[in-house]
Amino acid sequence: MAIQPKKHEMPVQSPELRARNFEEVALGYTEKLAVAEAQRCLNCKNRPCVEGCPVGVPIPEFISKIKVGDFGGAYDIISTASSLPAVCGRVCPQETQCENKCTLGIKFESVGIGRLERFVADWHNARNSGNFNLPEPNGHRVAVVGSGPSGLTCAGDLAKKGYKVTVFEALHLAGGVLVYGIPEFRLPKSIVAREVETLKKYGVEIETNVVVGKTVTVDELLEQGYEGVFIGSGAGLPRFMGIKGESLKGVYSANEFLTRVNLMKAYENGANTPIMRAKSVAVVGGGNVAMDAARTALRLGAEKVYVIYRRSMDELPARREEVEHAEEEGVKFEILRNPVEILGYDNPENRRDPKNGFVRAVKVIKCELGEPDERGRKSPVEIAGSEYEIEVDCVIISIGTSPNPLIKDTTKGLEVNRRGGIVVEERTGKTSKQAVYAGGDAVTGAATVILAMGAGKTAAKAIDEYISKTDT
Amino acid sequence: MNNLTCFVAVEFVDDPNVVGYTYWYLCPFADAEIGDRVCAPLGRHNREQVGVVRKVRFAHDSNAPFPIELIKRVRKVIKENRMYRIIDKRALNSTVTSMDIYTPAVAKKAQAGQFIILRVNENGERIPLTVAGYDREKGTVRIIFQIVGATTALLNALEVGDCLKDFVGPLGCATKTDGLKKVCIVGGGVGCAIALPVAQKLHKLGCEVHSIIGFRNKDLVILEDEFRECSDRLTVMTDDGSYGGKGLVTQPLSLALENGEKYDEIITIGPLVMMKFVVATARPYGVKTTVSMNPIMIDGTGMCGGCRLTVGGKVKFACVDGPDFDGYEVDFDEAIARSGAYAEFEQREREKTCNLLNKKVN
Repeated sequence: MAIQPKKHEMPVQSPELRARNFEEVALGYTEKLAVAEAQRCLNCKNRPCVEGCPVGVPIPEFISKIKVGDFGGAYDIISTASSLPAVCGRVCPQETQCENKCTLGIKFESVGIGRLERFVADWHNARNSGNFNLPEPNGHRVAVVGSGPSGLTCAGDLAKKGYKVTVFEALHLAGGVLVYGIPEFRLPKSIVAREVETLKKYGVEIETNVVVGKTVTVDELLEQGYEGVFIGSGAGLPRFMGIKGESLKGVYSANEFLTRVNLMKAYENGANTPIMRAKSVAVVGGGNVAMDAARTALRLGAEKVYVIYRRSMDELPARREEVEHAEEEGVKFEILRNPVEILGYDNPENRRDPKNGFVRAVKVIKCELGEPDERGRKSPVEIAGSEYEIEVDCVIISIGTSPNPLIKDTTKGLEVNRRGGIVVEERTGKTSKQAVYAGGDAVTGAATVILAMGAGKTAAKAIDEYISKTDT
Repeated sequence: MNNLTCFVAVEFVDDPNVVGYTYWYLCPFADAEIGDRVCAPLGRHNREQVGVVRKVRFAHDSNAPFPIELIKRVRKVIKENRMYRIIDKRALNSTVTSMDIYTPAVAKKAQAGQFIILRVNENGERIPLTVAGYDREKGTVRIIFQIVGATTALLNALEVGDCLKDFVGPLGCATKTDGLKKVCIVGGGVGCAIALPVAQKLHKLGCEVHSIIGFRNKDLVILEDEFRECSDRLTVMTDDGSYGGKGLVTQPLSLALENGEKYDEIITIGPLVMMKFVVATARPYGVKTTVSMNPIMIDGTGMCGGCRLTVGGKVKFACVDGPDFDGYEVDFDEAIARSGAYAEFEQREREKTCNLLNKKVN
């Protein structure tokens, strides 16, 4: 049978329609499409795709199950390695991981591994039998700080080994960036809630409204009898550019903008949390978070949304697919531009003009690409005298975060690096403090969901080894 | 549970005559839980006494644990030891309310100057309120709030026994009190509620405390007795002179500084405009002035940056770097402008909520 050179397309909502609603963009494979796509897998011997997966999902094995229509079996195989398959299938950058390594990809398009994973997880969740092989409790307690991807993965892996795990979450809802950051149209919140429920069935306890470092400290958790602590507290304080006008009304950090919309549901009627319904929005930055913010702004009713990025399209750090989706929906890319000032309304005639102090425009300067920096990325060089204004009434700054000092400042003997990230042994996630492990953005700075999950998994293994060793 | 009635077995532990026995009651409040305290009529004289719920049973009336025509009814459920339950509620004046919330973890850690974030209900917004007091033994934290918007109106509609949806803290840094020997506390309006625990703490540490508290008029004066107790000198001001001195809090402060009072520090908490002018009053004398900022917030842990202020030319987050800042460094005009970002939305929401609450009453 000849191999179909292209991936089976996943049905999506049309760009015109989806740019105005918060429903999920991609609709997922049907059973028929999934089987057809699975049949493209060569089931090659060297399994390069598994190498490409930070959590090591046995990819050819689960795809083989799909080929024969055993979707439940496929789910069981994925869940041996991944605690959050429905999430990974949606938000992983497969094109740089498993699919990047796919043997088929050398000559043709690689197998749609992410799409298949998503299909299997959704298939399972729609028919969840609720039968769990609950692990035998081993009598050991572990605390996990943060209920984002790294924390949930670590908690899940340890719970499956029989540990009594308690997850502490600062916000009122579990899920971390999966609920406050990634928008509904990319990752429906019901899916996150379901994954969290699954963990609870494994005996994981989730305590919301607990800020570790404030309500309770890491040292106190150890005193309370937790034998190990995993810190997955995530990225911290949003960075700003330090340009004039950043404190005007209508300037948001991407975190604030997305939190208002995703966690606080500001887009729904009846929510008590306000959000500005801007007509024209500028998003500064080129990462996945910037794409999320831009597409969210469209859905809130903005007529024009600009992404302002200081390098060219080739350097955009966001996933290709997200950039394409954003372009299709009508987001305009102002590339090779750097904001120099945000301008506000100022009516000198009337100090009480309600528009005073709100954003009016953003002034940008044109850039060209210069020599590559030490990381090999071409640095932007500003072209003198090329400034111009783009009229907007809202500016969203999405240029990354710096680590949150809450835990560092309240934990004795926890070493952090120059940038404030927690220092860990890469192989194990072990910190400078005994019995304390860390992973995810709290260690690396802003990265991806799957890398955080990989770190949670590594740490779970190390914590298990550490506790088993001390338990004699 | 169609048409099932809630029955509870109650033990009156404080009454030596009946302690150890339980009595079945019909409970019209279906959310009673084991361990809740209830008010219920007891004995021949039906004297209302407080007991503890030992069992909860839902049954058809025909299957009641005690003949349905004879069974007495619980009058009230006191849900005090449930999480985020309101243990006490007092109106300090017509627009300011004090509540004690059951939240042992927060009560254990709270310190003067820190704040908490709460949500009233499922779709509610997260609002920051500064800690107005705490009782580590009872596990309660006191909040004092002015009814200014939709959320505070909803909060004020709750009664003793009701629970808040979420309550997280303590957040931010405690007010620094180390080494202070003589301090002037300047509080304005509901800000006095936040200033009080700071004054109390300083008083306890043996510091000389001069307090100046200001209100719009006599009816809005709050916490006067509490301030008197912990202050070596107390000045009450009202804008219209209907109580205490007439005028603004900056007047007695200016007078004291002019007369050569040497304060180690001035700590001021109140409306932004008031704090701005307290700072302006203190500046010529070079007295260190600490202000407590309470801007718009969401998460309260530093993640969103909504609470950013310009302090000394740098961006600071009130939730992690504050809420206390050096008053000389804060850009008040910017903070005042930012505080009005959602004025229009707030106005609309408040009207909606008022209508809603009014309907409920009618």
